[in-house]
Amino acid sequence: MSERAPTLVLDRASVAYGDVPVLEELNGVVHEGEAVALIGPNGAGKSTFIKALLGLVPVVRGRIEVLGRPPAQARRDVAYVPQADTLDPDFPVSVEQVVMMGRYRRIGWLRRPSADDRAEVADALERVGLAGRARDRFGTLSGGQRQRVLLARAIAAKPRMLLLDEPFNGVDAVSQHALLEAIGSLKAQGASVVVSTHDLAIAHLACDEVCLLNRSQFGFGPTGDVLTPERLRATYGGHALELRGDRVIVTQT
Amino acid sequence: MIFFEPFQMPFMARALVELVLLGALAGTVGVLVLLRRLAFVSDTLTHTVFPGVVIGHLMAGNGGIFWGALAAGVVTAVLLTLLTQRRRVSEDAALAMLLTTLFAVGVVIVSRQTGFTADLTAFLFGRVLTVTEAQLAQTAVVTVVVVALLAVLRRPLLLRAFDPEGAQAAGVRVGLLDLVVNVAVALVVVAAVKAVGTVLVIALLIVPAAAARSLSDRLAVIVPLACLVGAAAGWLGLVVSYEASVGHGIRLASGATVVLALVAMYGLAHAAAYVRRKAGLSRARRRSVLEAA
Repeated sequence: MSERAPTLVLDRASVAYGDVPVLEELNGVVHEGEAVALIGPNGAGKSTFIKALLGLVPVVRGRIEVLGRPPAQARRDVAYVPQADTLDPDFPVSVEQVVMMGRYRRIGWLRRPSADDRAEVADALERVGLAGRARDRFGTLSGGQRQRVLLARAIAAKPRMLLLDEPFNGVDAVSQHALLEAIGSLKAQGASVVVSTHDLAIAHLACDEVCLLNRSQFGFGPTGDVLTPERLRATYGGHALELRGDRVIVTQT
Repeated sequence: MIFFEPFQMPFMARALVELVLLGALAGTVGVLVLLRRLAFVSDTLTHTVFPGVVIGHLMAGNGGIFWGALAAGVVTAVLLTLLTQRRRVSEDAALAMLLTTLFAVGVVIVSRQTGFTADLTAFLFGRVLTVTEAQLAQTAVVTVVVVALLAVLRRPLLLRAFDPEGAQAAGVRVGLLDLVVNVAVALVVVAAVKAVGTVLVIALLIVPAAAARSLSDRLAVIVPLACLVGAAAGWLGLVVSYEASVGHGIRLASGATVVLALVAMYGLAHAAAYVRRKAGLSRARRRSVLEAA
C-alpha cells in the first residue's frame, strides 16, 4: 500500500465560502487505487469537501493537494459525478451524448468526435451495464440508470481521481450493484475514488478508508478502524445507536 | 400566387429577407433560451434595450437606433449576467425591477418628443416594411456572428445547460459562457428592433424553439427545425398581412401578424406531437396484444 503514490493530501486544511468556514482541520492521505467514503449528516459539508477537491471552494488555511497539484490545476485528471436527480429529466439529450460530454476536454471545441472517442463512450456504457440504451433520451431512464450514465461519463474522461456526490441515494439494487462494480474496476486500474454517502454498509463494502465529517473531521483512516460506534455517535451528535456490538444505526441524517 | 407575388415589390422583398433572417437567428438562439430556461431573462433584455433605441434615435435619427440598441443591449447583458450569478438575491424581483425601470426611462425620454405616439409604436412594434438595405446588412452580420459563436461554443454551452456543476467541475468558465449567451440574446433583440420592435421579439425567441421541442427530442433536429419555423412564420405573417391589407382592406400590422403566425405554427406542432404520441401508444398497445396472443 505504502509504495503507491499519494493522490490526495489534506494537511490541516480549512475551506470556506467567503468568511464562513465550512470545514476545518482536514487531515489525511489517499493513495492510487484507494477509495475513501465521506460520511456525515446532512449539512456536514460533504458536498463542500468535494467542491474543495475540484478547486471550486477556496482553501483558506493549510493545504489540499490533488494529484500533486493545487486542486484547480488538477481538474483535467479529475472527474466529478453529480447526483442524477439534480438534472432536468426533460432535457433533450441522448444517453450517448451525455457520456460523450466526458470526452469534451479531449475533443475540444471544433473537432468531430473520433472513432476513438466513440469507442471510449461505448466501452464506458458497457462498464455500467447500459450498452443497449445509448440512443435513448437520458430522461427516459430510471434514477439509478441515470446515475450509471453519469458514472459512464466520468469513466469516459479517463480520470485518475473520481469524485461522487451521494451516488447511491434512491438507487435500486441493480443499479447499486452496477455502480459498485464500475467503481471497483476503476480502482483496480489505479484511480482514486472519493464518494460521499449516507450508507455505512456501502462504505464497508466499497471503500478502504473513511472520512467522518461534521463541519470538522471526526476521523480519517481504514474503514474498520474509523467506523466505530463511538466515533459515529460523535459525528452524528448522539443520533447513532449500536446494535449487537459491531453494528451501528444512524437515526438522523 | 399570393404566396410569392407580393415580394416582387422591393420593399416587400426586403421585409421578407429581414424576417426570414431574423426567424432563423432567433430560432437558433431560442433553443438555447429554452434549454437554459432563460425566457424571463430574455424578456428583460427586450425591455432594457428600449431606452437605448430611444436615445440612439434622438442622437442620430433612424441610423442611430441600431447603435443605441447595441450599446444598451451589451451593457444590460453584462448587468444581467452579474445579477444572475448571485443566487442569494431574489432573482425574479431584481429582473422585474430592472425591466420596468429601464423601460420607463425609455418611455419618459420618448414622451418628451413631438410625434410621441407614432415613435413609441414604431419602437415597440417595429416597421418591417420600411427596412432599408443597410439595416438588412446589419441583420445579416449579426446573424452570421451569433450563429458562428454558438456553433463554436456548442459543446461547453450544452454541458453548462445540462449540468452546471459538472461544467464547473470540468473547468468550463461558466460566468463567461453565461455572458456570451446573454449578449447573443441581446444581439437578437438589437437586430429585431426595426422589424418587430422590442416587445414582440420575445415571441420570435421563444415560440419556434418551443414548437420544435414539441416535435423532437434530438437537438440535431430541434435547432434546424426552430430555424425553419421562425423563418416560415416570417414569410407567412408577411403574406397574410399583405393579403388582408391589399386584398381585403383589413389593415394588419405585419410584426404582430408574424407573431400570430408563429403561435399558429406552435399550435400545429403541438397538435402533430399529440397525434403522433397517440398513434405511437396505440401501435405499442397493438404490438403488446399481438405478443400476448
